[in-house]
Amino acid sequence: MAMIQVNGVSKWYGSFQVLTNCSTKVEKGEVVVVCGPSGSGKSTLIKCVNALEPFQKGSILVDGISVGDPKTDLPKLRSRVGMVFQHFELFPHLTITDNLTLAQIKVLGRGRDEATERGLRLLDRVGLKSQAAKFPGQLSGGQQQRVAIARALSMDPICMLFDEPTSALDPEMINEVLDVMVQLAKEGMTMMVVTHEMGFARKVAHRVIFMDQGEIVEDATKDEFFGKPRSERAQLFLSKILQH
Amino acid sequence: MNLDFSVVANSLPYLWKGMQYTLQLTATSAVGGLFFGTLLALARLSSIRLLSNSASAYVNLMRSIPLVLVIFWFFFLVPLILQGITGAERPPQVGAERTAIITFIMFEAAYFCEIMRAGIQSIPRGQVYSAYALGLTYGQAMRLVILPQAFRNMLPVLLTQTIILFQDTSLVYVISATDFVGAASKIAQRDSRLVEMYLFVAAVYFVLCYGLSYMVKMLQRKIAVIR
Repeated sequence: MAMIQVNGVSKWYGSFQVLTNCSTKVEKGEVVVVCGPSGSGKSTLIKCVNALEPFQKGSILVDGISVGDPKTDLPKLRSRVGMVFQHFELFPHLTITDNLTLAQIKVLGRGRDEATERGLRLLDRVGLKSQAAKFPGQLSGGQQQRVAIARALSMDPICMLFDEPTSALDPEMINEVLDVMVQLAKEGMTMMVVTHEMGFARKVAHRVIFMDQGEIVEDATKDEFFGKPRSERAQLFLSKILQH
Repeated sequence: MNLDFSVVANSLPYLWKGMQYTLQLTATSAVGGLFFGTLLALARLSSIRLLSNSASAYVNLMRSIPLVLVIFWFFFLVPLILQGITGAERPPQVGAERTAIITFIMFEAAYFCEIMRAGIQSIPRGQVYSAYALGLTYGQAMRLVILPQAFRNMLPVLLTQTIILFQDTSLVYVISATDFVGAASKIAQRDSRLVEMYLFVAAVYFVLCYGLSYMVKMLQRKIAVIR
């Protein structure tokens, strides 16, 4: 069974349809990149996967559990799905260590020592162990995003969602975040990544999904997608972003 | 006019008792008002219609009525309501001091509600998302992530409101509670030294409130630097 299974999902904001009959899946250990022009619904789709956004039609299964089912224990499901946001969303009133341990303690019920040890080990992994006592505001954007990845990993997620993780970063900081993500992909983490970083997609993605106007226009293996996308819209998109 | 301030010096212990009650009333109302105000704010922001509508109705009602009236109402109504509930022969005595505390908490809750609501809305939506994404429940997300930030952002406004509250507590004088003003006015009338007494009271309020306002301003500057 696929780790993430999206079946015919549609979503409306009032009368405006943002997602139209989207279906795809992410197998265990697979890295899937979602790209497309802004406003194409890719961020909305990934937020639907852990029910941060509700959807009106279709179903999404994560590890076999239906996300849209009102009976589903959403906090529990979300605690098993790591998510990284465009604007990092570290908690600015907590130190880096507390950011890393809060959910471990409150959601997973780990002891403070265990949570801290695990958090600091992951902080070390993203190369920021020396920053543990600082507050998020004292770190650069790239550093904050690496902490955010460590925070998500500290929950031992079964898969990771990335919502444009490098879009809010200055160019010189993009690579330090991508390096962490590449490393993660190579270790076999199941990942769904909304990004415009085609270099990242080329390097580690197994599949690429192209969205436009709320629809999944193209869902192909990496080589197919970069070789010759079937749809005209995807070709146009690629020609625009790969020009320079 | 000959002013004789010895009346102030002579009655200082009694005035201090009044001031203690004023401070106690202010502190209790501020804490209670903030607590219930925060609950009201969460209710107002709730997606459950009934909850948000009732909360806004309450807040709008309280904010549209002069505080003096609310104090009067509670003073005269609460005993009657209690009588209705308990079926006692005579309206039970609640007492001016207790009435004052209940009234102020309820009244201030409406004002603190609006401040906390603004504070909660000042926190980016992404903070809620990331709290949820980590598996926190609504209650945990609010308690551990959103409210601490909202409270910090709104601290200067909350303190300013508390200073206003400190001044407003002098209104309990209308139900003969012996706060600072009440104590002063009793002495003033007993000794016919109204001018001296009220000058002294005004001076004390001015020094305290101006000093506190100044401290809030400094705090505001400090918070602005951190951000």
